[in-house]
Amino acid sequence: MSTPTISRQRLTALVPYAFVAVPLAYLGVFMFWPLLRQMWMSLTDTRLMNPTKGDFIGLENYRHLLADPQFYTSLHVTVVYTLLTVIFGVGLGTISALAINRPFPGRTIVRAVLLFGWAVPNVAATLIWLWIYNGPSGVANELTEWLGLGRVQWLTSIDMALPSIMIVTVWQVAPFVMLVMLAALQSVPDEVREAARVDGADALNVFRNVTLPYILPTMQLVSLLVAVWSIRRFEIIYLLTGGGPIGSTSTLVVQIRLTAFEDYDLGLASAYGAVGLVLALLVALVHFIFERRRARVMSK
Amino acid sequence: MKRNPLLSLSRGLLIVILATFAGFPVYWMASTALNVNSQLFNTGQVPWPQLGNLPELLSELAQVPILRWLMNTGLIAAGTTVFSLTLGSVLGYALSRFRFQGRGAIGFLLFMTQVIPEALIVVPLYAIFITLGLLNNLWGLVLANVGFSLPVAAFILKGAMDAIPYEVEESAIIDNCPRLGILSFVIFPLIAPSLAAAAVISFFAGWNEFLFAATFLMDRELWPTSVGLASFIGQYETPLSAVMGAALVFSIPAVAFFLLVQRKIVAGLTSGAVKG
Repeated sequence: MSTPTISRQRLTALVPYAFVAVPLAYLGVFMFWPLLRQMWMSLTDTRLMNPTKGDFIGLENYRHLLADPQFYTSLHVTVVYTLLTVIFGVGLGTISALAINRPFPGRTIVRAVLLFGWAVPNVAATLIWLWIYNGPSGVANELTEWLGLGRVQWLTSIDMALPSIMIVTVWQVAPFVMLVMLAALQSVPDEVREAARVDGADALNVFRNVTLPYILPTMQLVSLLVAVWSIRRFEIIYLLTGGGPIGSTSTLVVQIRLTAFEDYDLGLASAYGAVGLVLALLVALVHFIFERRRARVMSK
Repeated sequence: MKRNPLLSLSRGLLIVILATFAGFPVYWMASTALNVNSQLFNTGQVPWPQLGNLPELLSELAQVPILRWLMNTGLIAAGTTVFSLTLGSVLGYALSRFRFQGRGAIGFLLFMTQVIPEALIVVPLYAIFITLGLLNNLWGLVLANVGFSLPVAAFILKGAMDAIPYEVEESAIIDNCPRLGILSFVIFPLIAPSLAAAAVISFFAGWNEFLFAATFLMDRELWPTSVGLASFIGQYETPLSAVMGAALVFSIPAVAFFLLVQRKIVAGLTSGAVKG
């Protein structure tokens, strides 16, 4: 009688693994195996014409990378783009959340409109912004002319291309931040806010000393999410400027694509990718450290 | 409680500015679709929606293979949803209900997938798809998409299952009901809203996806809407109003469903990052 019980127990211990086996195998084949392969590829001279074959050339691609001025441009663009989209995206999203947190007539509609940028598919968003930014006929230039600023080469000048992309990015990201912050604002107890107000604190003071401490952890979390997304973002940059003019908007991720499918150099493209991955992992690491510290503080 | 009238006025003004920035591009998409090319490029765009141009817009749209593209998009999106929910619910169930060695590591791997740029694995996937004969194949595209939406689905469904007390399943387990049966018939009905949210997220991840589709599909016949629309960029044979009309048709379902399940989506995307 005892033998079947034991084997039964063993069997029960295996049940969780039976559950996770198929999904994990799936991710292994379509996510982690390509990732490893990408790492390997960065050490080879693989070309797009024959992508399954390539000879091992050691760190040659990385040497090439470090000697390429475009690499430093891309790294710089990626960092600047990520930092500024986090600052403006999280800033604008939080302001939006604070603005519509209290009931007012038409709130449901305003809330829906504020979410448009987040809900519109990337390619459709790119098409409309391309038209808004259009040189001779776009409405953005009509606006700047009306303001007396003259015409702007939104996407075709080195100075303006990255800021123009950032405007689109903030338009897309701020609504998501707003939704997250609205949820966080629910956690601020009304009584505390009212008490502070009764004690004579003005709006700014109430915000800084009562509201902000409650929503700061969430702001941190959403900042890290937005940062990771900015490092990953490909479509709108590639479709708005193609990384140009002269590489001035080519983030690491866009540079992977250009190197692989325009220069046919899969080895070098993979080296760009490896740097991009390290950057994203660094952000993830920062996130983990913050989370762990918070967990420790909360358990105290 | 009296409020400062100046403060509420400035708040009202702020809301108007924010709503204009957020809403204008979408309004402009509709307005552009209802202009004709001579207005757009010569006499100047008419800013209000000229509904009288609707029949002309429809006949222009008929010259764009928008229906074929939307059908491909729908197939890709539906395939992505089915795979993501099936695998994601099984994975989410295991993470929610069992304590086993390696559980933390799996959570970390899932979190990792949310950090990996698509552009990073597109090159090796391209090589793998050549070997497997999945290039230029809608199924191959679905398989690639699922890698990114499966973890999100698993996070959302795990979160929802965590909220269901174990007692609910206990009687079914004692009755020797197989686990997968419990998942389908006991758990699923209880987490229907989260299932719907996970479905919407996976569906529109597949609906919006561009990079994989643009890389893996060569046949115009197989193009989804995202790739078809992108092919209009820098090309002037198609009237701009038709391009904008097509973009609008492509956007409406995404906007409608995102607004419908917004709160659940946010909960899902942030919980993945928190619980990692």
